[in-house]
Amino acid sequence: MKGRDTILSIRDLEVTFKVRDRQLKAIRRISFDLYRGETLAIVGESGSGKSVLMKSLTGMLESNGTVSGGSIRFFGEELAQKKKPREWESIRGAKIATVFQDPMTSLNPVRTIGSQIVEVMMKHQRCSRKRAKQLAIELMERVGISEAAERFDAYPHEYSGGMRQRIVIAIALACRPQILICDEPTTALDVTVQAQILNLIKQLQQEEGFTTIYITHDLGVVANVADRVAVMYAGQIVEYGEVEEIFYESAHPYTWALLSSLPQLGQKGERLFSLHGTPPSLYHDIVGDAFAPRNQYAMRIDFEEEPPFFEITPTHYAKTWLCDPRVPFFKRPKAIEGLHQKMVMIYQGGNVSGNREERSFSFNSRS
Amino acid sequence: MQDSRFEFVTVDARVAEEIEAPSYSYWQSVSKQFFKKKSTVILLLLMVVIILVALIQPELSGYDPMNSPNINRPEMRFRGISLQYPYGTDGVGNSVWDVVWAGTRTSLLVGFIVACINTSIGVVVGAVWGFSKAIDKVMIEVFNIISSVPYILIVTVLLYTFGRGFWQLILAMCLTGWLSTAYFIRTQVMIIRDREYNLASSCLGTPMLRLVSRNILPYLLSVIMTNVSLEIPAAISTEVTLSFLGIGLNVAVPSLGRMINQYANYFNGYPHLFWAPVLTLALVTISLYVIGQTLADASDPRTHR
Amino acid sequence: MRRYLIKRFLRSLLSIFIVMTIVFTLVYSVVPRDRVFFSDVNIEKLQKRPDDYLNYKYIQWEKLGYLKYETIQDYCRGLYGDANGEYVRCLLPDSSETKEFVSSKQEEGWEVSFFEESGQAYSFEEISPLKRALNWWANLIQIDSPNRVKSEEATLKRQIYVGKDFNDRLALMCSGCENKYLIYFDQKFPFIHQNIVKLNLGVSYPTYSGQEVLEVITSSQGEKVKQELKEPINGQEASSINYYTCRYKETLDALEKKNFSDHYADCDAIRTDPSMMKISFIMGFISLVLTYVIGLPLGVYMARHQGRWGDRLGQWYIIFMNAIPGLAYIVFIRFIGGKYFGLPSMFPMLGAEDPRSYILPILSLTLGATASRMMWMRRYMIDQSQMDYVKFARAKGLSEREIFSKHIFRNAIIPMVHGIPAAIIFCISGALITEGVYGIPGMGKILPDSISIYNNSMVVGLTFIFTTLSILSTFLGDWLLTKIDPRIRLEDKGGN
Repeated sequence: MKGRDTILSIRDLEVTFKVRDRQLKAIRRISFDLYRGETLAIVGESGSGKSVLMKSLTGMLESNGTVSGGSIRFFGEELAQKKKPREWESIRGAKIATVFQDPMTSLNPVRTIGSQIVEVMMKHQRCSRKRAKQLAIELMERVGISEAAERFDAYPHEYSGGMRQRIVIAIALACRPQILICDEPTTALDVTVQAQILNLIKQLQQEEGFTTIYITHDLGVVANVADRVAVMYAGQIVEYGEVEEIFYESAHPYTWALLSSLPQLGQKGERLFSLHGTPPSLYHDIVGDAFAPRNQYAMRIDFEEEPPFFEITPTHYAKTWLCDPRVPFFKRPKAIEGLHQKMVMIYQGGNVSGNREERSFSFNSRS
Repeated sequence: MQDSRFEFVTVDARVAEEIEAPSYSYWQSVSKQFFKKKSTVILLLLMVVIILVALIQPELSGYDPMNSPNINRPEMRFRGISLQYPYGTDGVGNSVWDVVWAGTRTSLLVGFIVACINTSIGVVVGAVWGFSKAIDKVMIEVFNIISSVPYILIVTVLLYTFGRGFWQLILAMCLTGWLSTAYFIRTQVMIIRDREYNLASSCLGTPMLRLVSRNILPYLLSVIMTNVSLEIPAAISTEVTLSFLGIGLNVAVPSLGRMINQYANYFNGYPHLFWAPVLTLALVTISLYVIGQTLADASDPRTHR
Repeated sequence: MRRYLIKRFLRSLLSIFIVMTIVFTLVYSVVPRDRVFFSDVNIEKLQKRPDDYLNYKYIQWEKLGYLKYETIQDYCRGLYGDANGEYVRCLLPDSSETKEFVSSKQEEGWEVSFFEESGQAYSFEEISPLKRALNWWANLIQIDSPNRVKSEEATLKRQIYVGKDFNDRLALMCSGCENKYLIYFDQKFPFIHQNIVKLNLGVSYPTYSGQEVLEVITSSQGEKVKQELKEPINGQEASSINYYTCRYKETLDALEKKNFSDHYADCDAIRTDPSMMKISFIMGFISLVLTYVIGLPLGVYMARHQGRWGDRLGQWYIIFMNAIPGLAYIVFIRFIGGKYFGLPSMFPMLGAEDPRSYILPILSLTLGATASRMMWMRRYMIDQSQMDYVKFARAKGLSEREIFSKHIFRNAIIPMVHGIPAAIIFCISGALITEGVYGIPGMGKILPDSISIYNNSMVVGLTFIFTTLSILSTFLGDWLLTKIDPRIRLEDKGGN
């Protein structure tokens, strides 16, 4: 395991939105630490708050949203206190960079690719335009753009989707940030290109040593890239741990539901698992466990009291009463039984969009 | 030791299916949004008053621009502001109050009639235009040709050919005026037509008529209302301008534009004669414009926050 | 690209052709033709002499192209020449020539009638509006050549040559052409001028009677003024004659014979005031520059400070300027400027030479137009600021100022630029209301003026000019778009 050197520490973070005169709590008291050099994946269904969480790290919440409580400590700086756009300038791009979902719209259509890379270098590294251009061409080559010097003056519409995402990554990494946030970086891309982009990020991470946060609902991507996984539900992290722990020893019923619905795990002729219901409304306070109404393993206490985090291993925590010693015996769902073998089989069979060699080996070797 | 709180319970799956969001009704939100601004409500009331007075007052006063009963009575000319003549009298002994309201009535009528005709033709043609690719090919050429000529030029040339008069002016303003509305509606229809929910709906076999009336028209309603509310002041403005230049309405029809032109001559001695029509005109168009804008904003669901 | 341009050019021509033909047909078939005499001063003098009255009307109609007109006088003159006994006899209603005239004209399908008093015969043939439109098109472009002048004078040399003009500059000159100077240079923009190709938009009537439409709007106005000549002509060192415009004149009067050495004696005068087109353009252009220089930054400011007091103030300004008819605020500006700043409230008060005359009209033009620039700029900026690339630019750590100036502005300005050629070109067309209110002798005023006195050819001619300019400006706008938006190319899609 990599060294446990915490670079970002979030405590009791709360984010509130104002919608039609009502308060919506999108993030409800989240705490976690991010370790240097690791890759953290945040998974959860739409509306679970994973994007909001990431936006609050760079002060990019929509105008009706505010950080209403808690702290985000990053190298001794308190990010939660930053309100003005100006205060964020030294963080965004320079220390925490973001790659967005859609490379087609992330680049300014009327400016050349080169100028968009150079601009950020000149801003944060204060180098001359000539030097910046040189660096930018090098960077373009590193992210896999051939004939970078000729393509420096091309416009975004002259690039393909995959190439544009490479440029977006190049821009994000232009100032050697400590943290790279990837918000669904491959969703808008072709399956064939997805793996290339994931590999590119991974390779750059090894070279540069930055920390990566992936936001995704694609568990295939998670299995491929993550060191640690945090599962979010209704504005809270409900389970987190190392990737193997989440995949093979998950403890939260919501994680089980997520894993059970992986289409790759479906058996021919069997009905694929699907989770019924919708997440709870975040307009008012939730009593008990937010997942309770959809939980097949719901207990009376789930409707009465919010569960604390139970430590399963020193790296693996779950926020569910099912981990309480007082719980009677129960059987975990069938679908995730023997997940280990299934996963190994799938990855060796090469069914999952992603890179076979690297991840499957690491699965084997670690578990 | 068994804790009763840790017993498994069965959950009602239906409970979790309900989506809770603040209750929302389109029209309620529209009216709430509309009446939220005090200034708009005041202007709306003002507009109602102006419309009523403009419709009723000319009937009572019997003002006729072709007939000046006091023209041979010098003592009636340029009377100051009094209770009997709230805006005084002009150079031929007419009460300016009467003249202003008669002119306002003309302006409002022109505004409403032109906006109604242009919008109804525009919406119908635009809806068909947006749906049919064959018609689109022809219409887009027609539109390109006509839209390349400035609108005010078309109106003046048409007025020139038809001669001056109330209905001639309406005809001139409507003959090509509906085209821009139609083009606007066409574009909107094309955008909505290809939205996923409409594709889905038509894939499921919804008849075209139902698609138009249930899916598309309600969406267009706010767009249409906006268009109407902006077209009225624009039409009023066009009428007033043309009459001012002497090529709009003929002398038999009372008009604010012609009044402004005439009374501008008395400006140095009797400025109130001039200000009466100008300020009335400004009041009418500003109220209509602001009401229209607020209505447009309010009918856009995205503002319902 | 070239194919696109050709196609587009042809389509534009077609558009103009259709518009003009419609307008032509409307104007010449719907407007009663008696209206052209609405403000003709000559016609009142003729009221008491019915023959001359009718004759005058037909001659004018012929000039305006409504019909072809021929009288027995023309016929007899052709046979016998005028002012002799035969001619006088020939005119009589019972002469054999009259019978011949009547029968031959009736054969040709002309209508024949007799004057009320003298009983002399006349005949006319209607020209259909469509044919007129075609004629109009056929004569639209006139190219000068040495064989142009139909002269009986045998001594007239027919040649084009390079000579020196009266200012001692080189010029391409011609003998036998309509114009003496084909190409010449002077110190006025664009320094090189030509008289070879001309647009013939018809002859103005009853105002500016006899002048060509284009001449009316492009020649200088006001008092005649003398200009110094480098090479004295006929001993004169200064003259108000613009020799560059001299055209061939068949018969010269005594004074002209004295002043001119050749037959090129039909010249324009140099006058004090700029032409209608120039006045409109000067004012329009200054106000246009002001509009963009003031409107765009304000629009950007409003977008950046959305919802704050500056934005609110601006929005109220926009509402007022959009809602109040132009007439109302222009008159208001005239009042304020005249009363409190002592500026002339009518243009002719100080005239075209005094710069103060221009201040209020330009202000009137600018205030309204600025509001609409502000409105659009603000809207485009706000639309663009919600795009993903802005989110990404923010994530890059750029400051709000940089995001607005380097990213949003570049995109928001694109639709604004599209309108610039149209705005510049339409400076020529003048401002209908402003010129009306201030009594400015410009292009904006000429159209309503022509309409109120039923000047048909002027209306048609102006329609042609405005339509052509409008189509041209749309094209230039599209072309300009390709220069600032790398995604757009002129291709065989859309457009007109």
